[in-house]
Amino acid sequence: MGTLLAVAVAGGLAAQGRVPADVAAVVQQLVDSAAAVGLPVEPLREKAIEGGAKGVPAERVIAAVRSLAARLGQAAAAARAAGIARPSADVIEAGAFALNAGLDQREVEALVRRSRPPYTPAATLRVAGTIAALGVPAGETAQVVEEAMDAGTAPGELLDLPQEVERGVAHGDSPGAAAAGLGRGQATAPGLNQPHGNSQGPQGQGKGQSHKP
Amino acid sequence: MKTEYHPLVKRLLDGELMFADLPSELRAEAEQALRWVAALDRTPVALSARLDERVMAQVRRHAKSPAGRVWRWLLGSREIDIRFHVRPWALGFAAAAAVALVVVRPGLRTAPRSVPTYVRFIFYAPGARTVSVAGTFNQWNPAAAPLVPTTSPGVWTTTVALPLGQHQYAFVVDGMRWVPDPAAPTVDDGFGQRNSVVAVAAQDGGGRAL
Repeated sequence: MGTLLAVAVAGGLAAQGRVPADVAAVVQQLVDSAAAVGLPVEPLREKAIEGGAKGVPAERVIAAVRSLAARLGQAAAAARAAGIARPSADVIEAGAFALNAGLDQREVEALVRRSRPPYTPAATLRVAGTIAALGVPAGETAQVVEEAMDAGTAPGELLDLPQEVERGVAHGDSPGAAAAGLGRGQATAPGLNQPHGNSQGPQGQGKGQSHKP
Repeated sequence: MKTEYHPLVKRLLDGELMFADLPSELRAEAEQALRWVAALDRTPVALSARLDERVMAQVRRHAKSPAGRVWRWLLGSREIDIRFHVRPWALGFAAAAAVALVVVRPGLRTAPRSVPTYVRFIFYAPGARTVSVAGTFNQWNPAAAPLVPTTSPGVWTTTVALPLGQHQYAFVVDGMRWVPDPAAPTVDDGFGQRNSVVAVAAQDGGGRAL
């Protein structure tokens, strides 16, 4: 089914007028190659559409799609090396995001390896990628997230780490300083370590959630 | 609160400059401006204490009216029985149609990405005629999610339902200028600019934005 989708992807791009036909043809090849090795193709399609929407020259669109395909491949390899024989599209996309945010393949692999239940590799990688995208150095990012999991931070509270960094930055800390010690300061997951006193409750699903302005 | 910022700080808020582009003497002012815009997003909305009362009064009035009862009868759900015989060839046809649907709809995902999570976007763009948010969640279509001006001058907002996953986006000012969210994490967009990112992760059977 993935291959069937891949066949339709690039043709659809040109038909919808989102990218020029010559770009769509090259994207088609990249999509085919990605699908053949089990990589998700939707991000490649989205990147091509993004380039078209932004009016980027054809060669730069193709280069960006190619680069993204390489990152997806690296993320899949990291997940496999961490013991996931057939990583899901979600894990691969989250890994590619973390790589784009500055983590290297070894750090992605280590985070996936540490994401044993109750943690999920995709969520862990998204947290790490978001922290790195806030400007925290990659090595420090991986360390903070790993420390948080080692300390038994509840999975829901692991998702709070990026907000904690943002809060520190808003108070004038550098991103690195805002992240320092966060992993050790996080609370515990049920059944793992001690109970915690973090008053930051989970935000309700389905409610309006304010994103950064 | 400052009411007038340095022109370079305004350009930062407008997304024309990165924080690192500012001279060091303006950074404190810029941080204050960014915090102010962020605080706007977190300001609770105060509703009149009588709002519930007025809404319920309207509801009761409609519930009592005969026209309302007829309307509800017309729109109300009822149980009906539908019986049909399935021929083997019809099942084959249905399966073929399902495959064809997947093939001709390139955007269709093989699995739904769970319940959407509502995320509010706020952008400070004084002087802008239009602002929209375009990203992976709406096929980078600048027309799909326009922001509306708030009562605070220059502040625009909209709320978008996002599925689980990592989303990249940018604001589109006046239909042509792509600007990253100055207060959100950013990554290289591969085209020499930055995209803002927002992740929606699974939590408690739903999702939440990071």
